[in-house]
Amino acid sequence: MNLSTIRELYKEPACSHNAGKKDASCPRPTPGKAAGGCSFDGAQITLAPITDAAHVVHGPIGCVGNTWNNRGSLSSGPRMNRMAFTTDLNNNDVVFGGEKKLYKAVREIAAKYSPPAIFVYQTCVTSMIGDDLEALCKAVSAKAGVPVIPVDAPGFTGTKNFGNRLAGDSLLKNVIGTREPVTYHPFNVNLIGEFNIAGELWGILPLLDRLNIRLICSLSGDARFHEVAMMHRANVNMMVCSRALLNVARRMKEKYGIPYFEGSFYGSGNTSEALITIARLIGDEGLIKRAEALAVEETARIAPRLEKLRERLSGKKALLYTGGVKSWSIVGALQELGMKVVATGTKKSTEEDKARIKNLMGEEAELISEGAPRKLLEVFKRHGADILLAGGRNQYTALKARIPFVDVNQERHIPFTGYDGHVRLAGAVAGAIESPAFRMARTPEPFGDPL
Amino acid sequence: MTEQLKVRDHNELFHLEEYQVSRDKKKEFEKGASPEKLAETRAYTCSEDYLKKNFDRKALTINPAKACQPLGALLAAVGFDGCMPYVHGSQGCAAYFRSHFIRHFKEPFAAVSDSMTEDAAVFGGQKNMIEGLKNAYALYKPKIMAVSTTCMAEVIGDDLNAFIKNSRKEGAVPDGLPIPFAHTPSFVGSHVTGYDNMMRGMLFHLAQNVKATEKDNGKINIIPGFDGFTVGNIREIRRILDLMGVDYIILGDNSETLDTPQDGEYHMYYGGTTIEEVAQARNAKATFALLPDSVEKSVTTLMKDDWGQPFEASIVPLGLSGVDNWLMKVSEITGKPVPKALEAERGRALDAMTDSGYYLHGKRFAIYGDPSYVEALVDFYMEMGAEPAHIVVTNGSKRWGRALQKKLEGSDFGKNAKVHHGADLWHLRSLMIAEPVDFLVGNTHGKILAREMKVPLIRLGFPIFDRHHLHRYATFGYQGIINILQWTVNTLLDDVDNKAGDFNLDFVR
Repeated sequence: MNLSTIRELYKEPACSHNAGKKDASCPRPTPGKAAGGCSFDGAQITLAPITDAAHVVHGPIGCVGNTWNNRGSLSSGPRMNRMAFTTDLNNNDVVFGGEKKLYKAVREIAAKYSPPAIFVYQTCVTSMIGDDLEALCKAVSAKAGVPVIPVDAPGFTGTKNFGNRLAGDSLLKNVIGTREPVTYHPFNVNLIGEFNIAGELWGILPLLDRLNIRLICSLSGDARFHEVAMMHRANVNMMVCSRALLNVARRMKEKYGIPYFEGSFYGSGNTSEALITIARLIGDEGLIKRAEALAVEETARIAPRLEKLRERLSGKKALLYTGGVKSWSIVGALQELGMKVVATGTKKSTEEDKARIKNLMGEEAELISEGAPRKLLEVFKRHGADILLAGGRNQYTALKARIPFVDVNQERHIPFTGYDGHVRLAGAVAGAIESPAFRMARTPEPFGDPL
Repeated sequence: MTEQLKVRDHNELFHLEEYQVSRDKKKEFEKGASPEKLAETRAYTCSEDYLKKNFDRKALTINPAKACQPLGALLAAVGFDGCMPYVHGSQGCAAYFRSHFIRHFKEPFAAVSDSMTEDAAVFGGQKNMIEGLKNAYALYKPKIMAVSTTCMAEVIGDDLNAFIKNSRKEGAVPDGLPIPFAHTPSFVGSHVTGYDNMMRGMLFHLAQNVKATEKDNGKINIIPGFDGFTVGNIREIRRILDLMGVDYIILGDNSETLDTPQDGEYHMYYGGTTIEEVAQARNAKATFALLPDSVEKSVTTLMKDDWGQPFEASIVPLGLSGVDNWLMKVSEITGKPVPKALEAERGRALDAMTDSGYYLHGKRFAIYGDPSYVEALVDFYMEMGAEPAHIVVTNGSKRWGRALQKKLEGSDFGKNAKVHHGADLWHLRSLMIAEPVDFLVGNTHGKILAREMKVPLIRLGFPIFDRHHLHRYATFGYQGIINILQWTVNTLLDDVDNKAGDFNLDFVR
């Protein structure tokens, strides 16, 4: 990928991280610090949930060997995305180039599996040896009669978040707007940055159905390739994960005039707000009324169950360390349960996210920008918190330190979205705090050794 | 009484009317094929013609059964006291390795990277390394930093030795801080090669100033190898050697740091082989490797050529003859007899084998994984009268494949088996369709395959993400025999019970 494209993408204007800064760009990693995933990782996790497409990693074994099926994005149909395809480069390929191998690999997949599209991912090695992905994809696509989409996001271009953006860029260039829906529908929505982890999308679908809103595409949880191609026919885009694919929402607004907003389905308050906002942006009076009525009805439905959990959780303190949208939306969800959120992570949050956090938690809210394990534990102890909500990489650090833990990131197995999801989140938090194993862990050993 | 947390199972979910509606709506967007076409295609992928085509595939790997070098390097590195693994290259690799080990061992796993970006791709990674070593040392205070490379650094051709020297010159790290290193590109070898390279880097660097003495110190060295069961296995080997009264040093003992007790603290470094122990290892009587493929090249040359020590690598202490042979070898070299306690353990393992024999004899199985582990397991299952059918090893050499094939041809139970080195799990699918088996042995990645073939999966290998605590059990030693039997036979019996109709459900097996 050429440097000017990379620089341009780094300066995403809709990202307020960049607004008003002279030398605007996304944060870059510090050498020698424990860091998160790379651009390739970000690109792959953004697109791999497109369930009926084939995803080929053009690189050495590590890039696929360490990544296949590593996130819980579920599919209601095709499972093509579960297959790990790679050109598995060796020494010779590094010397003589990997283009031929890739060409054959893509032909083979097209012939044997005939998927609606093939995504090809560039990696550090193939980018450095100079394999021309774009030209090759064009050539092989013409021969094989299948769209072959280049995803030029080698790991060294930057962070995981930047990879999300590169993936979005590839979709804008190659996929979105290339197909039209068969039937007309008055109310259409896209959910951008919803990956259907643990089936969370499926908690939202019936709500949209009840409002007679058609989901064109959830980018990219449980998505089909052709859904992505029709995204330009939506009336509104909802950004579910704020930083990941902001460029897609912005460009779709510029190009197709589709308004977008940032919302969340975590917590019943946020869910209601999101549904009503979708209705408002579509602008149909009847629809707005129905959305408001649905919010009232659903909130009342779960109220008795939530009330019982609120009794158990009220006054408990939570430490939240997660990325992007969850940094504020889960704060709201926990506060609705009467809990106090003592601090939240903002490593992957936008300026809007931070503003929302301040709004919810007050000006003195503690924001943690670096999530080194020791730092998290220190904050936890200082506040006398009761539970940590974070991702898998912090899970065992927390458990070692006898801290009740709930996974709210990509390895979660419980869907937390929508009204029922709020009850589940409350249940999971209560269950973790009240676990008898933790009570025992905090009781001194019988044979005298002090804790 | 707490309220039960209700998560509606998705299988049930999609039978509800509201979801049927949304699924029908989705059809508009799918490039859907008719059920007839699907059946026809599936039938084709099950044909002999497809089997042949599948094996003709050269440019594409589908569902590989191997991982990359630096992953192995990290597992070797964390076996040393106070060692921080340092990945020289782009940052994503380090994040992947950490996730991998965290998910397998259910433990925190520390590793850093110097986050090379496109500037480094053009100008080389020295700047990143100097800054990275400096930051990592200041932040995490390690006693050792073990540097391994990723593809990116290897493609540029970064000179680790020079970079590390320059980092010291610039004052990024103190002079005395050991920084062993290894070149571990992903496009050569696999995770076991990486283990080999890093282990050599550690031993070479930490013992380079230690002089050889005229007489050995009577100890033996043990190199555990790349092993998903490393925690249980290292403890078992320790117990056995303690029972024998043998003095030993485990080189790369990661059993503590990958299984820290819950004491209310997070320990970034916990246990492991000390620098002093490595110095002693230099003058040991002999070195034993428990998994030969993990020490195939680098470590072997170091031990034999540089250290001038007898090196025992061909025996994996797994299965009855495996353990017997290994113990005899240890006894022969150290002069310590095998004690009565182990004799009794052997008897118990043998008892377990005869108890379970009925359920394994004549059963056909497919297996995949790393060469040494797979070979040892095949030997053991044949001791139980089970018959290997398909043996798939992505990272085995041709020479290894031929040797194993020859060995199998000499066995009544193995004569129908075929070794497929360099093959992947999609090849294995074709093989299992052509010649069905009764069970499958391998890591978590075989889950989908096992389900499609409707056979039980015995989880032995790395990684195992979807089950808990297995790494804490031994698969080595006589105790390991009982564990492997327990998992295998009981998984097969669960399968029998699950499939039993009303007439076959039995209380006694």
